[in-house]
This record gives sequence, structure tokens and C-alpha cells, in this order.
Amino acid sequence: MASSGNKNINSKLVLLGDSGAGKSSLVLRFVKGQFIEFQESTIGAAFFSQTVAVNDTTVKFEIWDTAGQERYHSLAPMYYRGAAAAVIVYDITNQESFERAKNWVRELQAQGNSNTVMALAGNKADLIDARKVPEEATQTYAQENGLFFMETSAKTATNVNELFYEIAKRLPRLQPAPNPSGMVLVDNQSPSERAASASCCS
Amino acid sequence: MRIKDSSNVLQKQRNRKSRSLLVFHEFENLPYLMLEQENKKVDEHEAGSVALPKVDRFGFVKQEANSPDGLTRSRSAFEYEREERKIRKWRKMIGVGGSDWKLYLRRKPHVVKRRIRKGIPDCLRGLVWQLISGSRDLLLMNPGVYEQLVIYETSASELDIIRDISRTFPSHVFFQQRHGPGQRSLYNVLKAYSVFDREVGYVQGMGFVAGLLLLYMSEEDAFWLLVALLKGAVHAPMEGLYLVGLPLVQQYLFQFDQLVKDHLPRLGEHFVQEMINPSMYASQWFITVFSYSLPFHLALRIWDVFLYEDVKIVFKVGLALLKYCHDDLVKLPFEKLIHALRHFPEDAMNPDTLLPMAYAIKVSKRLEELKDEYEKQHGKVSDSRIKQKLQQLNDADAALLQSEGKQICE
Ligand SMILES: Nc1nc2c(ncn2[C@@H]2O[C@H](COP(=O)(O)OP(=O)(O)OP(=O)(O)O)[C@@H](O)[C@H]2O)c(=O)[nH]1
Ligand SMILES: [Mg+2]
Repeated sequence: MASSGNKNINSKLVLLGDSGAGKSSLVLRFVKGQFIEFQESTIGAAFFSQTVAVNDTTVKFEIWDTAGQERYHSLAPMYYRGAAAAVIVYDITNQESFERAKNWVRELQAQGNSNTVMALAGNKADLIDARKVPEEATQTYAQENGLFFMETSAKTATNVNELFYEIAKRLPRLQPAPNPSGMVLVDNQSPSERAASASCCS
Repeated sequence: MRIKDSSNVLQKQRNRKSRSLLVFHEFENLPYLMLEQENKKVDEHEAGSVALPKVDRFGFVKQEANSPDGLTRSRSAFEYEREERKIRKWRKMIGVGGSDWKLYLRRKPHVVKRRIRKGIPDCLRGLVWQLISGSRDLLLMNPGVYEQLVIYETSASELDIIRDISRTFPSHVFFQQRHGPGQRSLYNVLKAYSVFDREVGYVQGMGFVAGLLLLYMSEEDAFWLLVALLKGAVHAPMEGLYLVGLPLVQQYLFQFDQLVKDHLPRLGEHFVQEMINPSMYASQWFITVFSYSLPFHLALRIWDVFLYEDVKIVFKVGLALLKYCHDDLVKLPFEKLIHALRHFPEDAMNPDTLLPMAYAIKVSKRLEELKDEYEKQHGKVSDSRIKQKLQQLNDADAALLQSEGKQICE
């Protein structure tokens, strides 16, 4: 896939969102192409990786899938700190999960890392009849907050690869650098990033 | 004492005339309490028309045809004989329905410890767990309380629990059937606990603990065992695992981090270099006491020891796992390392190899020191209401233990 001359970059990505919104299901679909009807709830956090090719660059996502329940909130910062991308997931059939998503957006914004690519995923888009969160209003919300927004379905695979691909495209390091000398590495706080890029990127 | 406290709470709620609104509508018309669930399990099974899935010895649906669970191998006549002898010894030790247990325990605690470390016979496991955890006493002292909690109280966590019911041991036949007896009893236990202790409520992870217990005892017994563990009937209470901020998880992770550095300095150094911290791989070990992340046959053996000897065994097994794989782990870069820490090799999952390794690791003294250190660094959690409560409960435990023997007759 990656021929010589191609760039390889590693990007830490974190999934946040209410329990049951479908974070693990999205990752499983993206990483293994599978969907499990009764996905075990995530305890703590789980790690996955998957690569995406954007033009001549291969982006390897190092993905932290977190536990969604509010009680686990105190464990989350260590996973989103220094992340190059954050996917905030809600369930389109559950208004409360959307409210949780907005809280996550606020929390990340308060962290002040403007380099983090933030995406909002309205998951379970296949359950259109049970929809509670309207698409248009969310689109507006996303635009106002500078989020990339997509409705996805881990079940039918709709927009799952697309979501990650679009995130990859938006990574600052794939954008032409306006001022290379002053460029800040998006992940300059990321432990995994530094460790991993040292071992695989030249 | 804690149970009195809780009964008071109950009393107050009763007086407030709580509605018995059951959010889980589908359950409404079904017999709610499944105290005889062993039998029900069989009934439901036979009633099911579909061909039974291929399951391992514990009831988990097999992924691959020959997924070894370390125990399905046919046993030799010799092994069978040995197992029979072991069961006979155990029966003698506990007496009919546990009648001789306390006496034996007082006379020969070291024999009990040794036998438990070798593994409690599966057919006696449920009973012995209740005896060693102190939950049997709680049950006897609090007749009717469980029923009250399940039937008449409502919980703010009901929807959260329902959301997770089908996501708890989804590959186990008992919990697989939608609204089947397994799911119903899991719901009842978790709901009852969330009412019993509204400060803890329901936290993801508790389901795996309750699920493991339910495979060995009735739901009322499982509920009281959960109470015994979290409120600390015999050992230090563990409710801090599930309280807001997960204070006990944070403390355990701090302690574990240091223990790794003490016992496996090279690996500890490697973790620092790769920026791996125990939260990334061990939080679920503590939160579910290994019921989430290890093969079931191994989890059971750990639980045998855990209930008798306390949470120390979780640290020891964690260290033993790292020690067993040490030479591989120190070579791995971040990503492979994380993977390896979540997927230990098959041969490490043999309890008869791993557990003796774990027993040989001494942690008690260091755990105490590290606890003090943690409290110094993070401000004593005891300043908070929570810790005070824990202390009260500890005092109550001391009283409980002193009055041991009397209780059962009360
Ligand atoms: N219909 C439908 N169901 C989905 C979809 N994605 C996930 N689910 C279901 O929703 C449930 C929860 O999904 P998970 O992926 O475990 O949710 P999570 O966000 O990881 O939840 P926690 O681990 O508890 O934080 C599972 O039973 C899935 O089968 C989807 O796109 N469509
Ligand atoms: Mg999950």
C-alpha cells in the first residue's frame, strides 16, 4: 500500500460519548469490518489501530475507545489529552446521549487544544424510525462549533469508513503547513504518539 | 452496623410509600424473584426449541470448535478420583449446608487457606463463596430485605441497568436469552443494589461481578455477596471502586504502578519509556476483579482466593501475569505492548501455573505503605464523607467479626 516516498503518520484518536451510543461498535466496524448485536460494555478503555490512506499519506489511527458511563468520566482525560482527533458519538434515537455529546464538546473546547480535529457522529442512523435527534439542527450545532459531523451506522457500515477518512483528511499535518517553522505538532503531548512515531516513521 | 443503617434507609423509603413502578415492562408479568434459578435454567433450556449452542463447561458459547478452556480435556480416571476425594474432604470441612464451617475455620484457618488456594470444587463453590465472604450471615440477618428492594423500590439507575443487561456476558447461555431467567436475575440484583446503596447506584462493571456470582448462586445470595464485598463484611469495603471519581480504582492503580516498579524494575522502566500506565490495562482488572478480562476458569480460581484473602490477590495475579510474560513484554513497542497486556498467551491462563506464581509474590506490607503514600499525595480521602463512612463500616466489621458465631443463630 505505502510505496516509497509516501508519508506515514500516526494519530491518536479518542472516542467519547454516552454509554451505549455505539463507540465500540464504530471501532469494531472500522477496524474489523464487523458488527456485534450485543457488544459488551467497555470497562476502562480499549485500544485499537487502523490505517487510512489519504492521497500519498498513510494515517495510522491509534484509537482509544473509552467507557461511556458518567461515573467513568474521571478516567477520560488521560485518553483525550494530546489526541490528534476526537470522535464524539451519540445515538440519534436518544436525546440524552446528544446532550452528553455536547458536554464532551464543551469539555474538549475548554482544554483549549484547537489542533484537535473534532468529529461528531450521530450513530444508529439505521434506526431512522426511532429518531429523536433531528439531523438539521445538529448540522447547525456542528457548524457553529467547528465540528465535522456525520450520521453513521455501525450496524449497516454506513459512513463509518467515511468518518475516519474525513478525519484523516482534516489532520493538521495533512494540510499544507502555513508556517513550517512555527508548526506545532498536534500530538506534542501524546505519549503513544511519540513512542510509536519514533519506532515507525522516518 | 451497616445493615441496620440500610434497613433504616429502607424503612424511611417504605414510609414514603414508594411506588412499585417497574420500568422494565416486559418483565411485569413474569415471576419476578427467581430464587430457584438453577432449576429454572434447566427448564428454560429444555423449553427452548432451537438446537443448543456448543458451550464450554461453564456455559459460554464456544467461539471456535476447539477453543481450549483448559478444562474441557477429558479427564483421566486418576484425575477423576482425585477430584472426588477433594470434594469429600471439602464436604467434611463445611458440614451440611455449611454447619461445620465456622468451627473448622477457627480451628484450622491455614488448612482452609491452603485448600482454597488449590481451588474450591465447582459443585461447592457457590456455597463456600457465601460462607467465606460473610454474605450468608447478612442474608440470615436480613430476611425479606432483598425482596423489598426488588419489588417495592424504584431506582434511578433502572434504565442504565437495562441498557447493559444484554451486554453482560453476552456469550453465556444463561445471560443470552432476551428477558430470560439470567437477564432477569441480573437485572434484579443490580437494581436491588442500586436501591440499597443509592450513592453507588449502578456502575458499569458491577454487572460482570453480579453475573459471575449468579452462575453459582440464587439472586438473593448474589445480592448479599455483593453487599458483603462492597460494604466490607470480612475485608475492607470495596465500594470505593464504584463511587464518584472511582477513588479506590485510582488508589489501586497507584499501588499497582509502584509494585510493578518494585518487583519488575526492567518492565517498569520499559512502561515509563513507552508511556504506558496501569490505567490503560489494569483498571478493568480491579473494577471487575478479573471477571471481565480473563478466561472464566481462571477468573473463578482467582475469586476463590479473592473472597477469602482479600484484594491482595488481584495485585498478585496482575504481577504474576506481567512476570510470566516479562521477557516478551520488555521488547515490545507501545502498540504491541498494549495488545499483549490485553491478550495474554494461552499458557499464562493456566491457573495451576499462574496462581502459584502469584502466591509467591509478597505484597501486603508494601501495599500498606503505598496506601499511606497515596493518601499523603492525594489528600486523605478520609476528609470526605465517603471515607468516614468507610471507616464506620470498618468498625462495624470488627464488631461483626467479634460476634462471629452468634450471628448465625440470631
Ligand atoms: N441499530 C444499531 N445499533 C447499534 C449501532 N451501533 C451500536 N449499536 C448497538 O448499541 C449497543 C451499544 O453499542 P456499543 O458499541 O457497545 O456502545 P458503546 O458506546 O461502546 O457503550 P459503552 O462501552 O458502554 O460506553 C450495542 O448493543 C450495539 O449492538 C448502530 O449503528 N445501529
Ligand atoms: Mg464500548
